[in-house]
Amino acid sequence: MRRRLPEWFLLLLPAIIVIAVVVLIPLLFSLYSSFTPYKLTRPSSLWKWIGTRNYERILEDWKFWAAFGRTILVLTIALNLEMLFGLGIALMVNKVTWGQRTLRTILMFPMMFSPILVGFQFKFIFNDNVGLVNNVLQSTGLTDAALPWLVDGRLALFSILFAEIWMSTSVFAILILAGLFAMPRDPLEAAKVDGCTPWQSFRHITLPFLMPFIYIAMTIRSLDVARAYDIVQIMTGGGPARRTELLWTLMSRTGYVDAKMGLANAMGYVSILLSIAFTVYFFKKLSAARAELGMAG
Amino acid sequence: MTEVTLNNVVKRYGHHQAVHGINLDIQHGEFVVLVGPSGCGKSTTLRMIAGLEEISDGNVAIGGRVVNDLPPRERNISMVFQNYALYPHMNVRENLGFSLKIAKRPQAEIDEAVREAATILGLDELMDRKPAALSGGQRQRVAMGRAIVRHPDVFLFDEPLSNLDAKLRTQMRVEIKKLHQKVGNTIVYVTHDQVEAMTLADRIVLMRDGHIIQVGTPLELFNTPVDTFVATFIGSPPMNIVDGVVTQNNTIRLSDGQEIPVPSSARGGIFTGQKVQFGFRADNLSPVGHGVSEDGEGAEIELTVNLSEPLGTETILFADLADTEVQGKMLNPRPVAPGERMTFRLTLDKAHVFDAETTNAIRSN
Amino acid sequence: MDRNQSHRSRRRLLKVLHFAGLFMIMAIICIPGLWIVLNSFRPTVEIMAKPPVWSPSFTLEHYQAMFAGAGEGGVPVFSYFRNSLIVSIVSTFIAILIGMSGGYAFARYRFKGKPGYFVGLMLFRAVPGVALSLPLFIVFARVGIIDTHFGLILAYVAMNVPFTIWLTDGFFRQIPKELHEAAEIDGCTRWQAFWKVEFPVARSGVASAAIFAFLTSWNEFALASQLTRSVRSKTMPVGLLDFTAEFTINWGGMCALAVLMILPALILTFIVQKHLIAGLTFGGVKG
Repeated sequence: MRRRLPEWFLLLLPAIIVIAVVVLIPLLFSLYSSFTPYKLTRPSSLWKWIGTRNYERILEDWKFWAAFGRTILVLTIALNLEMLFGLGIALMVNKVTWGQRTLRTILMFPMMFSPILVGFQFKFIFNDNVGLVNNVLQSTGLTDAALPWLVDGRLALFSILFAEIWMSTSVFAILILAGLFAMPRDPLEAAKVDGCTPWQSFRHITLPFLMPFIYIAMTIRSLDVARAYDIVQIMTGGGPARRTELLWTLMSRTGYVDAKMGLANAMGYVSILLSIAFTVYFFKKLSAARAELGMAG
Repeated sequence: MTEVTLNNVVKRYGHHQAVHGINLDIQHGEFVVLVGPSGCGKSTTLRMIAGLEEISDGNVAIGGRVVNDLPPRERNISMVFQNYALYPHMNVRENLGFSLKIAKRPQAEIDEAVREAATILGLDELMDRKPAALSGGQRQRVAMGRAIVRHPDVFLFDEPLSNLDAKLRTQMRVEIKKLHQKVGNTIVYVTHDQVEAMTLADRIVLMRDGHIIQVGTPLELFNTPVDTFVATFIGSPPMNIVDGVVTQNNTIRLSDGQEIPVPSSARGGIFTGQKVQFGFRADNLSPVGHGVSEDGEGAEIELTVNLSEPLGTETILFADLADTEVQGKMLNPRPVAPGERMTFRLTLDKAHVFDAETTNAIRSN
Repeated sequence: MDRNQSHRSRRRLLKVLHFAGLFMIMAIICIPGLWIVLNSFRPTVEIMAKPPVWSPSFTLEHYQAMFAGAGEGGVPVFSYFRNSLIVSIVSTFIAILIGMSGGYAFARYRFKGKPGYFVGLMLFRAVPGVALSLPLFIVFARVGIIDTHFGLILAYVAMNVPFTIWLTDGFFRQIPKELHEAAEIDGCTRWQAFWKVEFPVARSGVASAAIFAFLTSWNEFALASQLTRSVRSKTMPVGLLDFTAEFTINWGGMCALAVLMILPALILTFIVQKHLIAGLTFGGVKG
């Protein structure tokens, strides 16, 4: 009798095939094309091997490094603030005794928004001419002139961060809240009786228990950090004067506007590695935190 | 006829061997209990009979038919799980009738079988409830009902009572025994509780570390344990075991120098200087005049009582004999103060001698 | 007495702060969305007015234009809506079937390198849409499935499968394995045991995984913006850009389309919100 494939593998096979066809093959193709001077306008350029020259060009390009550094910076700030805000909101909502369900439902609100919609929404709200923010500021007399929210480099970065955080804080808040609900009461009460201040019992009991939940949220977030692209693309398109250029907008400009596919794919690989690094990092943290609390199994 | 035969059955997980070549013949209509400490391979053995676990070596036959490679559904067995495994999305009626529905029996027949099972187990009132709305004992009963609806050849029980509280457990134990008397099927029952094993079994199979240690009726295991493991596992409180050495004049010298006559049952199998373990049950050690009969073989020993546990009709007394804590029973009890020195009588008719190295029982045939 | 007094007033102050903080947070979360809804009902003149008009008037002009097929600015919203619906529903359905089978494999079978497979699959989810869109565009163009429903559905299935596996794995793991053992002893094949017992029990969990997949497809932009070209397959997130001309933006129309986009998502999420959270945490914590 012919040895058959194990059942678990047969069950996984459809998933593996789909991902291979739609993700793996294009990625291999783009890996190859990142070693060619491929331009959409000149298909024959796909067959010219230029080795690592695209990568060398990227490494020498300060515009790339600026975008790369800015991406890291934005992600770091955004993820940390989202975590802190999420934690704060979860703790506050957890304390509420009345209407908790409603609050939780409202919290989920931003999760349903398409990133592109979030971008547009804040482009509208931060619009220097007809935007809500400027209208309020001017009507209340806080400023006379319209603030150039999306035109000034720093303000634009702030606006983008605001949008990003508005969109993603709920993931943290919701998951941390779920963690708080799942938390056993006894250790907290024991700590109270043992004389812990609220801060001490938070620091030594609540927080360690919440860590796995925070890492789940981080992991889920790290799976789609690149959604920030949609927001930036809509709000500023990387402008003004590349002041809000992130890795992803730079790549899409290089690929689609300048049609330099080979070069863009090389950048794409850098961004893929970046995402993978984030994901692997948080997965590791997650399993470590789980193991610590004895939740593995 | 549905006897179950295990022939040299082995279970391996990679390099680890969980069950080491088990041989067992279970007669038609017999109630057999597999008992042993956790990790002894009893559940694995049951699951191999059920077809939930692959058999690494040897074979299992049900009703004379080797079933090694048959899936569970073709073995005509039914099983009651420790956590009941009731289908949470079906009500009691649907749970009971599920197996017949899968077998595509006509609806009238299903209804009839379900009603019959419900009556046997007293479930009539609960038919439209979901498992979540049932108490532990009721769930247990539904699980049993689900098992009997199909009239299987063999019932398998995997620790069915261990999730119930003590009172309910006793009650359900009686119900299981009644059920067996009523339907008369072959039953293989797994438990770690020796009381369950003693009360339910026609025959007990005592296992340890993937081996069968002893097979026999409850009284056989209680009265003639093959080694100290069986002796201490079966019976409550566990058998007292005291270390000693055989002397020339047919006595056993304990570590404190005290000598106790070797019971006549063991005299033929010992030699002078042999290191042995001397075993006796609490029932056979009583203060003089409070239980143990004065006739027959016996010995009198002085003991200081450390602790007493009054149970009403009897009191369990704890005392140190040669640096080992032993328990005795006092019938028609009177209050005993800690530290009180009493004369105990130890009957030797039912005492046991075990070889200290092999722990096997020594008996002169 | 004094200490009691001070503790009491401190508690009262904290209560006020707590309430004010919550109120602010909820306001920040709600106002942007409400602002969009509000503006979808305001005439363009009023939106653009300088100085701003604070007392809103009410009009349905944007919605009328939107549903008139090719309305103001010629945006065929109706086709976009239909495309979005088809692509999202079909891709969700397929992704759930494939993902459920994978999730079941992770939850019920023991095999070598399981954590490796799992993280490996997740990593494919982590590939940024933009980075994937370039090569995917070229490959799809070669095969000739650019600007078709099929192409977009294929891409979304691949995108949703890993996360669906994560969620369904968590849900199936919650179901005691004795349940399918009992079903098998009751006479089911493994296939029957799954469909008659395990699937019905995990149904709500699977539903929440489906909502997640649907939302992802419904909201996706980076891939759709490259893989679609025309009314034939453009989805709403891409269609939103139609309102942006070179220098002017039709804010009112955009707001109306935004409301149309958010409504189905809103309704779906509310239906399953409880399971949504349970799914995420169980999948993660007890993994």
